[in-house]
Order: sequence, then C-alpha cells, then structure tokens
Amino acid sequence: MADEHDRRPGAARAPGPTISDVLAHDRQPPPAPLLESRYAFLGDEDIPFARYTCAEFFQREMRHLWPRAWQWACREEHLSDVGDTYVYDVGPYSVIVVRSAEDTVRAFLNSCTHRGTRLLGGEGSGYSPAFTCPFHGWSWALDGSIRNIPGRWDFPHVSHATHDLQPVRCERWGGFVFINMDPRARPLAEYLDVLPDHFRHFPLERRRIRLHVQKILPANWKAAQEAFMEAYHNFETHDSPNGGNTQYDIFGKYVSRFIHNIGNYSPQSLDDYPGDKWRRPPVTEEELLAFLSVYGIDPGHVPPGETARPLIAEALRGHFGDTLGVDLSAVSDSVMLDSIEYHLFPNMFFFPGINVPMAYRFRPNGEDVDSSIFDLLLLEPLPEGVEHPEPPEPVRLGVEQSYTEVEGLGWLGPVYDEDTGNLALQQQGFKTSRKPGLTLGNYQEARIRRMHMTLDEFLSAAMAKE
Amino acid sequence: MQRTTLHRVAGAHDVPLGKTLCIEVQGREILLCHTADGYFAVDNFCTHAAERLSGGKLKGHRILCPLHGAAFDVRDGCALSRPATVALVTYPVQVDDTGISIALAGAGDP
Repeated sequence: MADEHDRRPGAARAPGPTISDVLAHDRQPPPAPLLESRYAFLGDEDIPFARYTCAEFFQREMRHLWPRAWQWACREEHLSDVGDTYVYDVGPYSVIVVRSAEDTVRAFLNSCTHRGTRLLGGEGSGYSPAFTCPFHGWSWALDGSIRNIPGRWDFPHVSHATHDLQPVRCERWGGFVFINMDPRARPLAEYLDVLPDHFRHFPLERRRIRLHVQKILPANWKAAQEAFMEAYHNFETHDSPNGGNTQYDIFGKYVSRFIHNIGNYSPQSLDDYPGDKWRRPPVTEEELLAFLSVYGIDPGHVPPGETARPLIAEALRGHFGDTLGVDLSAVSDSVMLDSIEYHLFPNMFFFPGINVPMAYRFRPNGEDVDSSIFDLLLLEPLPEGVEHPEPPEPVRLGVEQSYTEVEGLGWLGPVYDEDTGNLALQQQGFKTSRKPGLTLGNYQEARIRRMHMTLDEFLSAAMAKE
Repeated sequence: MQRTTLHRVAGAHDVPLGKTLCIEVQGREILLCHTADGYFAVDNFCTHAAERLSGGKLKGHRILCPLHGAAFDVRDGCALSRPATVALVTYPVQVDDTGISIALAGAGDP
C-alpha cells in the first residue's frame, strides 16, 4: 500500500493498492522490468506557457532540438527492397531514408548539393533506384555518391568530397529506423537507456503495422504529447475509473514510463474525486469483465471468489492468439491488458502491450507553433517465421475529423477523440491566462517535467556554444 | 457517341498482387497495376518528364516514378507529389475468369 501521508515533495501516492501490488499478484506474472519502479522528485516550479505559444521559443527548438535529436523516421518494413525510400519531414527539415543495399539503410538531407532543391517531393514511403534532382538533373547513387552532372565541363570545382549527398546519422532499434541530423550526435544506444533491456521481453521488431493514422492536432507538439504522458486525466476526460493509481517511472534524461491497469481499478485512488462515481457503489468484477465485449467476446460471468482481471487476460490470449496466429500463452496478464507506455525524448512513445499495442510520434506541423502532427501506429505481433507484409499507407485526418472515421480503430476511436478533444481549448487557454505557466503534479505529471528539463539541456547547451 | 473497344491484355493470373505489367495497346504504352482493391490501368509515362513508370514501383495504390520519385494514385491517376502535377490518363479495366481487358476509345471514333 502507498503512504499517501508522506509530506516530502513527490513522496505522496494515491491511496489504495499500487500498480506494483497488482502486478505482483497477477496470475500470470510480469517480466522483471515491469516490477521496477524509478522515481525522484524533480521540482514543482510552473512550466511557462510561452514554451507552447511563443514563436521565438519555437524557433529555438527548430534550431537546437530537432536537428540534434534522435527521432524515428519509419519502420524497417517500409524499406524492404533496395531503392525503397522514406521521406521524413520535421519543421523545415526533410530527410531521405533509403535501403541502399540489401543490408544497408542510409539517410541523407533531402536537398540537392547544387542549388539546394528538395529532391523527393512527397513525405512517406517511395521508391527511387537513384536520386535525380528535378531542377537541373544532377543525380546520385543510393549511397549518396554523385553520379551525373549534366554539363560537367562547367563544374571543375565539384567532386565527391564536396557534392555527394549530405549524410544523416541513421541507426535502428526495435524495427524502427532512427535519424539524427547532427553528425556529432552520440550513438542512439546512449539515448535508448533501458529500452533495449526492457523490450527484450517484448520485441517490437516482430510486430507489423496494422494501422497508421496521421492526424493534425490543434496544439503545440509538446501540449499534444503531454496529453498522453499521464493517466490523471482519465476520470474527467474519458469518464473512466482507471488511472488514479497509475505508476510513473523516470529512468533518465530520455526515457520515462507509465503503467496503468486495465481489467481492474482502485476505488480508493479516487477517494477525493468529485461525486460518488465508481466508489459508492464501486464497479463490480462482473462489470469489469464486460470490457471483453469491445472485442465481440461474450464476457460470461466471474465465478465466486475470482476477479475479472485474469479472466480478461486469458480471454484475450485466446482472442488475439487466434486472430493473429501467434502463441500468447506465456504473455503476462499485465502485457496482455495494461496500458504500458514508454516515452523516448523528445517525441516518441512505445507500448509493449497486446491490448494496447501502439507507437506514437508527435512533431510540429511545418513551422506552426500552434499545431502538430500525431502519428499513431498500431503494431500487432507477427507470427513466427512470417515476413513483414507491406505496411499500410497512413490514414490522414484533418483537425476537424474524428478518429471514429478510421476503419480498424474500433473501441480506440472514441478514446482518441477524447484525448485530443481538449487540445484546442488548452492551446487557446495558454494565451488568455494571466497566470504565466502550467502547474504539474509532483508524481503523476513528472514525466512532463522531465521532458522539459531535457529540452532545456538541448537548448542551453546549443546556446552556450553560439 | 464514343465507341470503346475491349482489348484482352493479360491472363487472369499473369500479374501478381502488388505488381505491374506494361502492355501496348493501339500504339500506347499502358501500365496494368494489381492492387489489393483490384486492377487499374494508367498511361506508362510520367506526366512530369515522360519517364517510364514501369521502371518504378507500385506501393499500395501509388505508382512511383523511378526518376524523380513522383507518386500517382493508380485508381484515378491523380498526381500525389511533386514534381508531377498533372494526372495520368486512366483506362477502365474488366476482369473475368479468362483474363483482363482494358477499354480504349476505338479507332475511327467521332
């Protein structure tokens, strides 16, 4: 049980059972990383609203964050054949990722070394057996080496050393292809921190993209992603009893996590929430079991003396095992059910779960401080021995469109509408507030603070060099 | 009234899913594309720099030009990315048990 009366800042927890208590007693126990908890108080100062609204701050991010941060550009299955490309845009920057040889993936700035023209027009997956600039026809091989210059006689000052495509750092982890535009960036592994160790238990390489939804959101990229970094909002935004006792972990500068339970909840954690909802009377085990109906499964009944959580986990093992053709018999109750969300600085999220199997990416929408692009991938396990199929094209949604329009999102459609429904209000509220910044909970919103602290390190280190 | 002629261009199993076949009909090069939503036929030349699209790649519903990477939607011919801005001509496709046919305006049309 948590001690909610501890007065040290950041030490208090919601009343009632903790996530660790629940996981420790799960019928099918979790792998060791899910039993770890790592938290330290990081401060309680407000975060200035200007960080979300001010053009000057946004430009600092454009100069000092995005060109220096590792970020995933695509999945490896986007690059199955030699010549397959993926164009990743962030702010004013554009990067081409290409499978340049059977065993090699490279990345280049998407810019002609003659007069700067963008080489590949569209964003997303494509195919180019070589790169040819549409302006004067200069061309490069897939390894970036310059191949042909029309009117070569006029360019004696041009060589491989000076005019090959400008390389971008490119590394792979978990089936994702990451890029970093800073040639001096430290290796990706240093940023990934605990991720490789934790995800050994849930390899994302052996997942396929079942659905990719790309939506424009009406808020700064940080506000947009912060709507997904805590489950404190579940009660009000989702009208949901889950989330009050969510566990938050901060593993270092770059990686944090939350775990919130599905298939049970803590009525005590909602003790001082408004009204009587879900406490008087509490949700019954039978009502919790009804979650199965979102998958079209007849929930049946909870036998006397049992609880819903292991029954839901077992039913979903059968359901997803059959649907996906994978053996889930050894998967823990927590991984089967829970929302387990790892964040990687600055803008990426990875979920090891089966019921909640997502990856997210949030980035600025072009050079607009007030809007962002949210990429949502559903990554489902791939049967043993099966090769990755061709990934689906993204379903693109405008600001006013609803996630319920997306075929295949199922029960998640209305949930994402709720998650993103506050953003326009928040972005506008930032601007009208006399109070100069937002206030964060010491524990439940600590991941947001950690992200801002690391962002400050990027911005201040770069400014010190200038 | 426009008269169209059906031209048998391939057997029912000649073009695997996700692949294309370049055929010549009435002196025109046409690219037959087999997508998850069926067969579509478009002109084989990119509307930007007249490169043969048969040297490119079909991804989902998009045919990608091998020269500058322009993408077209094979379902309606629309240009999806620069440098192409003009749509490809498309042709109706009919599929039956015996094969795949493309409808073209017949010779001598008014």
